[in-house]
Amino acid sequence: MFDWVVRYLGFLKHVPVLPHVFDALLKLTSLLTNKNLPDYIDEIENEVRAWPNTTVHVHKFGGIQFNANTTELGHIHGNGLLDVLLNREQKSLLMKKYPVQDHHIFKNSGWISFWIKTQEDKQTAVALLRYVYDFKIHQSDRVTL
Amino acid sequence: MPTPANPNRRIFYGILVSNLVSIVFVGTNKYLATYLEGNETGNSSGIFIFSSFVIVPIIMGAISAWYWHPLQLKTRAYIGWSAISTLVACAASFVFLKEGVICLLIVSPLILTFIVTGALLARMLYNRKNNTLNSSLAGLVLVVLITDTFSSHKNVQLVSDTIIVNAPIEKVWPFVVEYEPITLKEDYWLFQIGMPSPVQSTVDGHEAGAGRKCIFSNGYVFDEKMIVYKPNEELTFDILTQPHDPEIMGHIDILRGQFILKDNGDGTTTVIGNSWYKLYVFPGWYFNLWSESITRNVHLRVMEHIKILSEQGV
Repeated sequence: MFDWVVRYLGFLKHVPVLPHVFDALLKLTSLLTNKNLPDYIDEIENEVRAWPNTTVHVHKFGGIQFNANTTELGHIHGNGLLDVLLNREQKSLLMKKYPVQDHHIFKNSGWISFWIKTQEDKQTAVALLRYVYDFKIHQSDRVTL
Repeated sequence: MPTPANPNRRIFYGILVSNLVSIVFVGTNKYLATYLEGNETGNSSGIFIFSSFVIVPIIMGAISAWYWHPLQLKTRAYIGWSAISTLVACAASFVFLKEGVICLLIVSPLILTFIVTGALLARMLYNRKNNTLNSSLAGLVLVVLITDTFSSHKNVQLVSDTIIVNAPIEKVWPFVVEYEPITLKEDYWLFQIGMPSPVQSTVDGHEAGAGRKCIFSNGYVFDEKMIVYKPNEELTFDILTQPHDPEIMGHIDILRGQFILKDNGDGTTTVIGNSWYKLYVFPGWYFNLWSESITRNVHLRVMEHIKILSEQGV
């Protein structure tokens, strides 16, 4: 359903508030299909919020966005889809280490997507965000995987 | 951050104040929109504009989040308390506005979605403590609310359905004009939970200008006047009066009905059923989904009955 909406109704994302309505619907349905998911997302938010110089915002296309200073680390949609922004080199490194996928829309970009469904996935999501955070804060690829 | 004192009171106020504010907004919107439409409101109980079911619930969510955000509630708690707030709004509508249960069942997903949207968005915005942004968004919401109230609200739709009857046209026509009570089992879920369904049709003449009655379950009667009566070809009727029932009626006027018959030349007949209705609830994209589905199932129930009666003994 999410893929169908993104594929065929994606052009509506520029209508003010509509992406947030869609994200609220995703959260509502997530609560019915995976009742722990909203808690995992809350816990990830609390974890990232505790890192120095991070802020949490509403993502312009729905979901919550994590920033370090003014740079986006990634965002999580209401259905538990984490999108993280890297460069291609870092992306290929992470894809070997974690069960992450190409971004659900921008396949050939530095973005990766990761589905959060379980407690373990939550920890992986935090690790991914932490990796990007360290990378972007230090602007270096010397971060250990 | 320490949890403020009296968290239960904050949750309660979040629900109470948001519902009280919604009564003021919805009541004012309904009064103004109905007044501005004048004679265009037909048999309706008034016009409920787009803002009543979209903007006002967003405002309700934002008001609730104002009370709730210092409590650092989890997302699931926001959704849960928003659902309670939706139930309170529906209960208030049932008691004070005399809305029907099915009507509230139809509208509740819309209200819940937008209350949750408002609450979750506002929670993030309040946490950012950006008063300029918050004021701008509040201003934008009010502009939409006011613009919507003073805009024209007209929504006339046509629903058309077709069925093939395995009987010649002259066998079908009499049952299009009038038919004995429908005994088919209800297979549409809204009919099964109590929405009135068509039962019988009677006429007091066989010519244009004659009266026709469409009787629904619960005894509801639509008084109709046949304006086109062409045997074996077309029956068109205007609806003169319709019941004022809290379930749907009051928010929709059925304007006209029509049956068109076409001889397929092989002993079968194509029956086309058309209905025109006018909706007094918005947003149209949401309520049209429901009214189209309901009208379609009214059509199909009648047309299936006509098919069965016509095919007997063929």
